[in-house]
Amino acid sequence: MMKGKKKFIAGTAAVAEAAMLANVDVISAYPIRPYTGLMVDLSKKVADGKLDAEFVHADSEHSQLGIVHGASASGARTMTGSAGVGVTYAFETYSPISGGRCPVQMVVADRTLDPPGDFGSEHSDVLCARDQGWIMGWAETPQEAFDNTLIYYRLGEDQRVSLPQFNCQDGYFVSHIPGEVVVPEKSQVAEFLPPYKLAKPLDPRKPYGHGPQIFSDQGPALQLQRAIVMNRAKEIIPEVVSDFNKVFGRKYDSYIENYNPNDADVCLFVNGAHSQTARYAIANLKAQGVNVALCRIRFVRPWATEEIAEVLSQYKAVGVVETNNSFGVAGQAGVFTPEVAATLYSLPENKRPMLMSFMAGLSGEVIRLNDFYFMAKKLVQAADRKKIEKPVYWIGFEEN
Amino acid sequence: MSLPNIPKEKQLPEGCIVDSPTTEQDHMTTGGWRVLRSVIDYGKCTKCKTCWISCPDAAIKVDENGDVNINLKYCKGCGICASVCPVGAIARIPELDFEDVSVYRELPF
Repeated sequence: MMKGKKKFIAGTAAVAEAAMLANVDVISAYPIRPYTGLMVDLSKKVADGKLDAEFVHADSEHSQLGIVHGASASGARTMTGSAGVGVTYAFETYSPISGGRCPVQMVVADRTLDPPGDFGSEHSDVLCARDQGWIMGWAETPQEAFDNTLIYYRLGEDQRVSLPQFNCQDGYFVSHIPGEVVVPEKSQVAEFLPPYKLAKPLDPRKPYGHGPQIFSDQGPALQLQRAIVMNRAKEIIPEVVSDFNKVFGRKYDSYIENYNPNDADVCLFVNGAHSQTARYAIANLKAQGVNVALCRIRFVRPWATEEIAEVLSQYKAVGVVETNNSFGVAGQAGVFTPEVAATLYSLPENKRPMLMSFMAGLSGEVIRLNDFYFMAKKLVQAADRKKIEKPVYWIGFEEN
Repeated sequence: MSLPNIPKEKQLPEGCIVDSPTTEQDHMTTGGWRVLRSVIDYGKCTKCKTCWISCPDAAIKVDENGDVNINLKYCKGCGICASVCPVGAIARIPELDFEDVSVYRELPF
């Protein structure tokens, strides 16, 4: 059963509530929009004595990550966060943190990378770090941002995994637009999330060395170890999500949410908050007799190759809504198109849907219902004609 | 997705987190980068160990008497020890002033 208090709060405030219930020990912060709301809420909770945590005001994003890296290695549950160029400024630290197996949680309210200074949501900032060995995923609503905070701590701190996590939400669309959030009771959180226990915490009485020099012939085994651990994270996601659903009375899918799957020939592949609008568009289209499905991934890393392939194999055409830009990438769209293409290639040819990309939701622009109708039209046309006329559409720049 | 197992002889500790201190490797000397050498005035030193905890390369060791010693094989000469020392007991002296200078005085060709 869903127990707890209903609050009307935005995404960053929801994460702050979750951090308080998760009893975070060390927070490092440095302001950048739209993440700043989290920093404000957490510092207020610490100042008011509601959260017993060390709040360190860093002098940059790079320092922020260094602080939580050390704190996490010493056995503290940590939270930090950023947005846009702040995420990329700290880039050097991501691989050492995941390679040293410190389950830091970094909350990102995403933001377009410069130039120019654009505050709007775009998934490009965190997606740059998709190869750094961090668990990564987007929340669609403030409620999911709250829930993901707890799910990610549980998954990342599991000693079989011990990996850091990017807990992402769309800047403004989730971080600043309030929604209904059920804040559970402390006892429920305690039931789901055990206290953080690191296998080898730093301790002056029993010192450990992190990141020693190794020889080149020792390196490949370490890389394989990191791949194995990320793979393991994927395997235990269903266990963590089903435990979460049981304790809090939610109905999350482990890897993929498949909306309106029956009878549809075509499918929109969406990450993050734009799937809210996509759902409305799909419901409206259904009322007019056009059947479109939605596939929303809950995790970008680890990528659930087999599961996504199985879901997408039901459809004749799949349209990837990119919400990010990757200049010169295979397919000339964003980073999701090559990932989905590689996923689909694991299917036999007769089950492999056609693939299209839609460049939309860039620089904070809203993807409107009309934009989704346009995408649906192009997908249905491709499915009917068994042919793709154009692999990439730039929404807002195309003729109907 | 199945991945191969790592054979026993190739296994490293999880996250490459190792017991400390580890052995020194002869061919991994980094002291040669140093331009200024930190020299401790033991008459002023209070054994507070601020330099020991602050050294980013763990190149300061504490001996059985509680005295701090700089490991010149690894000290890169960053000078953090000198700037954090609360009693000003650490001086920074040009490396070339020493007989046992760690940099190359002669060109290798």
